[in-house]
Amino acid sequence: MKISLLYGTETGNAELLCEELQEALSDGHEVDVANLEDVSPDALSAEAFYVFVCSTYGEGELPSSAIDFFTALTEEKPDLSGIRFAVFGLGDTTYDETFNNGSTILADSLVAANAQQIGPRGVHDASGDEDAESIALPWLQERLAEAS
Amino acid sequence: MTAKVAIVGAGPSGCYLAQALGKLCKEAEITVIEKLPVPFGLARYGVAPDHQGTKAVTRQFAKLFEKQGVGFAGNLEIGTSPSAALSLEELRALFDVVVLATGLSQDRSPGRDFEGTPGIYGSGAVTRLWNSHPEAAEFSPEFGARVVVLGAGNVAIDVLRLLAKAEDDFAGSDFPAGGAYDQVREIHLVGRSPADQAKFDPVMIRELAKIPGLAVSIGEGTALNSGEDDKRLAALRDLATAQPDAITKKISFHFGWPAKKPLRSNGTLSGVLFERDGEEMALPCDSVISAIGYEDDGKLNRSALLDGASTHETGQIAPGLYAAGWFKRGPQGTIPENRADSQKIAALIAEEIAAAPAGAEKPGVAALQAQFGNRMTSYSDWQHIDDVEKAAAPEGRCRAKISNLPEMLAVIENRRQAL
Ligand SMILES: Cc1cc2nc3c(=O)[nH]c(=O)nc-3n(C[C@H](O)[C@H](O)[C@H](O)COP(=O)(O)OP(=O)(O)OC[C@H]3O[C@@H](n4cnc5c(N)ncnc54)[C@H](O)[C@@H]3O)c2cc1C
Ligand SMILES: Cc1cc2nc3c(=O)[nH]c(=O)nc-3n(C[C@H](O)[C@H](O)[C@H](O)COP(=O)(O)O)c2cc1C
Repeated sequence: MKISLLYGTETGNAELLCEELQEALSDGHEVDVANLEDVSPDALSAEAFYVFVCSTYGEGELPSSAIDFFTALTEEKPDLSGIRFAVFGLGDTTYDETFNNGSTILADSLVAANAQQIGPRGVHDASGDEDAESIALPWLQERLAEAS
Repeated sequence: MTAKVAIVGAGPSGCYLAQALGKLCKEAEITVIEKLPVPFGLARYGVAPDHQGTKAVTRQFAKLFEKQGVGFAGNLEIGTSPSAALSLEELRALFDVVVLATGLSQDRSPGRDFEGTPGIYGSGAVTRLWNSHPEAAEFSPEFGARVVVLGAGNVAIDVLRLLAKAEDDFAGSDFPAGGAYDQVREIHLVGRSPADQAKFDPVMIRELAKIPGLAVSIGEGTALNSGEDDKRLAALRDLATAQPDAITKKISFHFGWPAKKPLRSNGTLSGVLFERDGEEMALPCDSVISAIGYEDDGKLNRSALLDGASTHETGQIAPGLYAAGWFKRGPQGTIPENRADSQKIAALIAEEIAAAPAGAEKPGVAALQAQFGNRMTSYSDWQHIDDVEKAAAPEGRCRAKISNLPEMLAVIENRRQAL
């Protein structure tokens, strides 16, 4: 199964996490990593499994590199039937009311475009003790098991 | 020929630059040189101690040194000061490319009249103290009961929040244990521009609502009615309408009031006088913290170096010499802005490296090792400090920072002896 890791980031944590996940998975899978900034929703393909890794900024908003993708998704309304994805959010419980809003916004907009979400959203808390990778990797392995 | 790159300053801009350049020039030898024995600049020493999530960007930078082959050379100051290990010229002779990412650490003065008055402090010095920066080890400000904070950016709000918090509110932070300012009863934040031009982010205001016991007011001479859909003004209005049952501290916001001069009685500070359009406002206080920006510390001849107009745009000062981060752009902008800018500068440097004619090999980091040997600190020295600080964390804190240079160096030396 081809896996495509797509990140929406402001300070680069999501990008680094994708690179780490790519490295961890590279033995058994074909994995590529791209910035959401460089991806258009209508280029998504049913052949791949998409994993969106996205942080939250401002007042519970999407990070800058996810904004164009989101705008295209909501304005051009492409039909994403057949596209399968999972979402992992990076956030910070310091912002408790809007904790991981960005990844929710993204997941909701993909579902609204008829894409199929596989499994629950994973989340990381930057104020917590754990590394994002140590939470995201087991989460991702469960999603991959469900997707294949 | 391997290109040798020295990035001076291990703050966010230097680290982002190393990250981006490492991806573009896999062959280059990249060394981050830092004045302090430990890395990360304002991510460790400026970002507020109760914003550990924001500080966690250092986990990303750690990967540079742990996995991505970037070198760290700590405890080496570059420049003209007597404590400097090397001048810029000497450094340039050892490396093909030098990037100055040394930030801007000097507090901007609120004006001549304020200088030399006891009780008036800069936010840089104060936030270094709260972050246990070694250069603040001897600094012991007296804030008294009433504090005026000058400025209306995010740093001013950081200062206000940290003064307002009680010991319990610091749970999970690395603010010095027992350091809460219980004696502070009244804090006035005063911005020179009208509220709708203030620079703080609305979340910074919303966060204040979580501190128990704060009575919030908007100064009488301050209008918040302009800009109905301004999120910052809405956040301020919301904050000022929610009042606690039991009041421990009072905070108030004033906008559109340039500070004119400090007021003194019997030689000690008694307040600040503000003036606009011939109208005056006096706020009595025991101390003033100015959070109105930063400037150059003069140790790298910044103004002469950046004279060429295009430097501000591209970051290139001369072939083989670049500026990045706050040193390049001035003291504005958050961590993400440094990332975007450093990525652009890295692309330019990569072009220069690719186009460089084959020449004599520069010695690079090997020369630093030969010349400075043991006095230089390594990334593993920092990892040791990191472990020691985390292990020493008292109840309710995530770490106890080592706050002075001799102790930091002694801890490093002890481990080296033990190895
Ligand atoms: C109090 C405060 C709080 C902030 N809070 C936030 C926040 O919450 N979120 C956010 O996004 N941004 C925040 N910022 C802004 C952010 O810190 C800056 O955008 C960023 O740190 C600038 O990065 P820099 O690498 O250019 O400079 P710096 O972080 O200042 O790094 C410069 C490094 O160079 C070293 N150095 C200096 N001189 C020399 C020399 N001569 N030789 C060798 N090394 C040298 C310094 O020790 C330092 O490590 C804050 C800034 C301040 C001042
Ligand atoms: C100004 C600012 C606002 C933020 N707002 C939120 C938020 O509303 N909700 C949340 O869960 N995280 C918030 N975060 C935390 C980031 O999402 C978190 O640090 C994340 O790891 C950043 O990942 P990135 O580097 O990929 O952008 C905020 C961080 C900053 C600095």
